[in-house]
Amino acid sequence: MRSIGLMLCLGLVAQSQTLKRAEELWRAHDYKGANQAFKEAVAASPKDADLRVKWGRLFLERYNRADAGQLFTEALQIKPDYAPALLGLALVANETFEGKSLGLAQKALEADPKLVEAREFMARLKLEDSDPKGAVAEADSALQLSPGAKDALALRAAVELLADRSPKEWEAKIAAADAHYGRGYETIAHFLVLNRRYDEGIEYYKKAVAADPYLDSAYSNLGINLMRMGREADARHALETAFNHGWKDNATVNSLRLMDSYKNFKTFETPTTILRLQKKEADVLHPYFETEMKRAMAVYDKKYEMHLSFPVQVEVYPDHEDFAVRTMGMPGLGALGVTFGGVVAMDSPSGRKPGEFHWASTLWHEMSHVYVLTATKFRVPRWFTEGVAVHEETAAAPDWGDRMTPDVIQAIKTKKLLPVAEIDRGFIHPSYPAQVIVSYFEAGKICDYISEKYGEHKLLDMIHAFAESTPTDVVIQKQLGIAPAEFDKRFLAWLDVHTKDTVEHYAEWRDQFKTLREAATAKKYDDVIRIGAKICDLYPDFVETGNVYVALADAYTARGDAGAALTQLEKYSREGGRDPDTIKRLATMLEAANRPKDAAAALERLNYIAPQDADLHKRLGGLLLAQSNTSGAIREFAAVVATKPLDQAGAHYDLARAYYAAKQNAKAREEVETALEAAPGFKPAQKLLLQLTAGASD
Amino acid sequence: MRFAVALLVLTIPARANTFYLTVAGLGGEPDYEQRFAMLASETEKTLKAHAPEASVETLKGAAATRENIRAAFGRIALAAKPQDALVVLLIGHGTFENGYKFNLPGPDLSAAELAGFMDKVPAGRQLVVNTSSSSGGGNEALRHANRILISATKTGSEKNATVFARYWVEALSDPSTDTDKNGSISAMEAFRFAERKTKGFYDEQKRLSTEHAVIEDSVKGGAAGQLAMTFSVVKLDAESLSADPAKRALQAKRDQVEAQIDQLKYQKLLLAPDMYRTQLSKLLLELARVQEELDK
Repeated sequence: MRSIGLMLCLGLVAQSQTLKRAEELWRAHDYKGANQAFKEAVAASPKDADLRVKWGRLFLERYNRADAGQLFTEALQIKPDYAPALLGLALVANETFEGKSLGLAQKALEADPKLVEAREFMARLKLEDSDPKGAVAEADSALQLSPGAKDALALRAAVELLADRSPKEWEAKIAAADAHYGRGYETIAHFLVLNRRYDEGIEYYKKAVAADPYLDSAYSNLGINLMRMGREADARHALETAFNHGWKDNATVNSLRLMDSYKNFKTFETPTTILRLQKKEADVLHPYFETEMKRAMAVYDKKYEMHLSFPVQVEVYPDHEDFAVRTMGMPGLGALGVTFGGVVAMDSPSGRKPGEFHWASTLWHEMSHVYVLTATKFRVPRWFTEGVAVHEETAAAPDWGDRMTPDVIQAIKTKKLLPVAEIDRGFIHPSYPAQVIVSYFEAGKICDYISEKYGEHKLLDMIHAFAESTPTDVVIQKQLGIAPAEFDKRFLAWLDVHTKDTVEHYAEWRDQFKTLREAATAKKYDDVIRIGAKICDLYPDFVETGNVYVALADAYTARGDAGAALTQLEKYSREGGRDPDTIKRLATMLEAANRPKDAAAALERLNYIAPQDADLHKRLGGLLLAQSNTSGAIREFAAVVATKPLDQAGAHYDLARAYYAAKQNAKAREEVETALEAAPGFKPAQKLLLQLTAGASD
Repeated sequence: MRFAVALLVLTIPARANTFYLTVAGLGGEPDYEQRFAMLASETEKTLKAHAPEASVETLKGAAATRENIRAAFGRIALAAKPQDALVVLLIGHGTFENGYKFNLPGPDLSAAELAGFMDKVPAGRQLVVNTSSSSGGGNEALRHANRILISATKTGSEKNATVFARYWVEALSDPSTDTDKNGSISAMEAFRFAERKTKGFYDEQKRLSTEHAVIEDSVKGGAAGQLAMTFSVVKLDAESLSADPAKRALQAKRDQVEAQIDQLKYQKLLLAPDMYRTQLSKLLLELARVQEELDK
């Protein structure tokens, strides 16, 4: 018995020495050594939950979420409701802004109400959800438990900064507690970036690395945010510093890779725009993107009553992974485009299947952010800037923007839309998978409602109010003259009028739609026409694959009713349908119906969806030339040339024809000679050359 | 290119004929069965429209058996002359296990058997377009002097169903395939069209390409690709040699200017851009004027 006790005692001593060694190695930045020491300690004491939690924290710090999560889970299996393990899982979840992090942190606090770090973390979550009051309450609770709780002090400083008050008092307390506590400044920087105040965030990341030169995560974030702001030399320096210190997380490595790939991009500059396009598609996309940037800026200059003092930079990535690097560490969807101050990064239309992505809608959305962020000096809640941006998409053209999805219908039906004062939560910490999409929809509709009910200028008044760091509830009260709760009530009533039919009949539509699809597959066209006519108005927004409009058009075509088929495809296009083949089919039918102008308009829509399609440009160029729209024809035929088609002679000849029609004979001759260089015996081009020569000698 | 085709027109006796044999193989399921048969029918329609004098034979559905193919080649072998051309198009599925086989109702057709059938055809220029899966696996057995091989896949291990056939058929009826605008779609032009469209299909669908088409030809003493560039698969509006001596003189003049343009293009990198452009402009204008005279 005595010997067993001695062995136990020796075992505990050995374990505590191994743990001590692991922590020392960790502090000395020997992460491999620390990992090995933890491994040995856990092998020696497999039932020690605390060891596993500490080891998990090492993994979490070294950006290995999977192993960290596994260790926290194992700790909970050993010791259910072990608060540090629950907190660990909450931290893991919050790395990707998962909504469940809040519940896990609450559980940790229920298990141990005096766990200071859990309290600090709650404060962080509240502030991420734009709830400064809640954040202050949680931070103060942590400070009551431990007056030197440095992260709580940092959160208090962040709250002050976000409210445009001085953070000095709190920063002084952090410095007094630990002069080298860079993480405090890193936390402050995190919140500034989260609130799109990138320049200020960068300054705080600099403070963080100045306080702690080994704080590699801050170097990495400094680099990423410098890159976001287009300050590439400084960004590379910061990222390489982190990398050379051994900080090789995905964000750092991928950001460096992305910067290396910039040599494959081509930059087009005007006094007001900077456009960065991948070389392979630069010549095709350049005219369309630059024109649209300038068009959006002209509209927004007028609408927002301001003029940007800097050129807007738009970066277009054909490889979605490159674009994804730009959005790393950002909450929300960020699926198509993202704006960092005056820099917009977005997917290229070539990065997705044709028809999936309306690039112009995304561009206008992001450009709206540039104006709203600038006008508010970055003091705008996420819901509002997103809402205005979504509102601008359909304001630019009704068929732009996103349609109402089944997720949104479900959210309306089950009353999951958030009150206006809390909607930011839906963007930052979604509590169900579709909540981000639902929040975009809701925010957009709120702005539509305000515009319709109070006038478009009211949105600008709200922008100016937000610029004063005024919270949402106060802005709603002051600008709209009603309490937020009353606003929610009125907005939902308005939304109900607009969505009632679809929401109420969605289940019926879904069932009938299934039957319609079966009938379409079986080519039972009479059934398709009967069911389609009954349900097409129940859910007009549904323009995805297999939609009712196209099914009806097919059925009418099979029945020989071209007019009815055309009507359906026109509805499809008007409702925002984006499938290139269907739109081309519509254009063909419009041409057959002797409506060339409408055919051209149908194809023009496709320029905003699938601009890399040489066939589209060729057809559209031909239609525009026939309508004497020579500038349009030149644009379209030049796009064909830019796609570098196999038929070089045909492409240059078409462009020459357009120039000739526009009486730009020098350019026409240049193009026709290029056509003939490729195919010297090309008779139509020879004839044009002779015409041009005769014209020159006249 | 125009020059090369013009030479071919001059050197090949006027009665040279082209024999087309198109086979739509076993689909295995209704969707493929229908698709293969439709592509074969479209090919036949295009060929008959552009080459009414040519011999066009199509085997599809239950008729596409190995025996019927053997019989068709037997008929062609009897009718064809050395100055003639043979175009074989296979649409369907293929397999590659112990050698390549084209799937048919009943016994499949191996690459070696196909090569044997084709070897017996005396046509001096031959083209085989195998659009099936694994088709690249048959190229070794089919390789022969003055025979162009086009396969939808690079090797026998590319086993997925292909989309190349659809674009090959499209190439034959799309005037833009004729990139040198000489009124004739060459094997190389059709291949480039179909290859690019196939690549575009996978790019657009964001799918990893499971087929990589290849073309190879071998002409005695010629450069790679030379035969494919001059092998006319479809003539859209090719011109024949005029019986009028005055026109023949103009045609000769035209060929001469075209030859000068070709020569100038070869020297492009050696000349100052301005000088190249000036000389090119002059020659192109001269050529256009000669053509104008010819067209009067």
